Amino acid sequence: MTEERTPLLEVTDLKVNYGAIAALRGVSLKVYEGEIVCVIGSNGAGKSTLMNAIIGQVGRESGDIHIQGAPLAKRNYQVVRQGISLVPEGRRIFAPLTVVENLTMGAFPRTDRSKIGDDLEWVYTLFPRLKERCGQYAGTLSGGEQQMLAIARALMSRPKLLLLDEPSLGLAPIIIKDIFKELRRINEENVTILIVEQNARQALLLSHRGYVLQTGRVVLEGDSKDLLVNPEVTAAYLGTGATRSAKAEKKS
Amino acid sequence: MKEVSHGLETFLQQVINGLSLGSVYALIAVGYSLVYSVLLFSNFAHGGFLVVGGYACYAALKVLGANIWVASAMSLVGAGIVAVVTERLAYKPIRERTNVTLYLLIASMGMSIVIENLFVIFVGGRFRALPPVIPTSPVSLFGLATTSAFDLLSLVASVVFLGALQIFLLRTKWGLAIRAAAYDLRTAGLMGVNVNLLVSIVFFVAGALAAVGGIFLSVRYTLYPQLGGITIKAFVAAVIGGLGSLPGAVVGSIILGLAEMLTAGFISSQLRDLVVFSLLVVTLLVKPSGLFGKNVSEKV
Repeated sequence: MTEERTPLLEVTDLKVNYGAIAALRGVSLKVYEGEIVCVIGSNGAGKSTLMNAIIGQVGRESGDIHIQGAPLAKRNYQVVRQGISLVPEGRRIFAPLTVVENLTMGAFPRTDRSKIGDDLEWVYTLFPRLKERCGQYAGTLSGGEQQMLAIARALMSRPKLLLLDEPSLGLAPIIIKDIFKELRRINEENVTILIVEQNARQALLLSHRGYVLQTGRVVLEGDSKDLLVNPEVTAAYLGTGATRSAKAEKKS
Repeated sequence: MKEVSHGLETFLQQVINGLSLGSVYALIAVGYSLVYSVLLFSNFAHGGFLVVGGYACYAALKVLGANIWVASAMSLVGAGIVAVVTERLAYKPIRERTNVTLYLLIASMGMSIVIENLFVIFVGGRFRALPPVIPTSPVSLFGLATTSAFDLLSLVASVVFLGALQIFLLRTKWGLAIRAAAYDLRTAGLMGVNVNLLVSIVFFVAGALAAVGGIFLSVRYTLYPQLGGITIKAFVAAVIGGLGSLPGAVVGSIILGLAEMLTAGFISSQLRDLVVFSLLVVTLLVKPSGLFGKNVSEKV
């Protein structure tokens, strides 16, 4: 039903090489406005490369990326200005800066300085913990709080599309659950999300549609609820018995 | 009794001289440290920026007949632009291709030689004295000690410029971006910062601060193409204070200036450099990261 609309993000036949190694061998995907789309795959499948190629930190070998039908810039800072921001793998918060300085950095490209205060309040309502710690150095936050800060920082540029690279990495299961709940809430506030995850179950439970990436190629795509019960996916990414528990979780 | 008061007077005088010299080192060390903090390499061409600043001031005064304010402004801007051009020509192509900072270090040594020899070829290697635009008359400090107006002026000018830098870094959008980039340049790029522009701003600031140092040093020691070699002192100061730390660079510079002047006043002027490098050796032995060296406090 959504297929006729112009996608918010359209990646067409994207290839990326690291020297002689082909990291992405022609990836195509679409993200429509309002969606949460996930890309799952194992280590080395090219998930992070995909994120870095979209945001402009890694050069493309060939292929096109469009945002709302317009070609996406190739330089990182121009991409951010076009409305995409990335929560990088490993969070990469600025440890020696305070929480509020980290958030201010997130708003760097914005010219509407007066509205930044409102958005600061907005991310504080999403993550009240950050407000409590606004004057604290970011390096003193716990892992989960740092992930919240990384997400809030990315939201400060008011992106149309939020990219997340392995937000669950290195976090306790209970914190992962919190973070994913927050992502759903962010999506309900009109932020489209593209997430890559090794934690396939969580990602599929969160998202509307999913792509499975294997050695630089999309091998499977579809609605997340279908992928959750797809025998290939359950065997390769969800582990034995995952299907039933996943269904149970979805129901509850 | 008279000898004691004479000793005290010498001490006070040398402390003021030391602060003055140290503050000029600080201008150079801070710019050098700023570049180090963002790109993680020792920019050995930094001394070249200082020389450019000195000659730009000299030319503006002698050739254009400008007053000291105009000449200083031209010197700061000139050295800033040379610093930016140096980065674009010699460092940017390297940092876009590799993360190995050793190549940047080697390129900077090359650029240092290039800048120095451009002056030898086109301006000549002889020593030049700046016209007497900065007063050097003796000033009595409440009758306790005598110092020169020049020493006080260089101290005041350094404090003003370092204060301005601090305000820039703490109160402006680009200042915040530079502090973020000093921790993680790549992630600063993710925030929508034009990294190349940021690096250019850093080099411009570093070049302009070096020029201020260059002007004062050319008054103190006269101007010649190898004057940039004095940067080695600023480098030592930056290491003592902790590479990449700006407060460290200032504190290290003050320590160095005081050590030099007190040695000159009470022991022998010829032992100044010995003391400077001994301080470096002791620092490296006792606390290699320097007084304020980057201590990573992030929990992972």
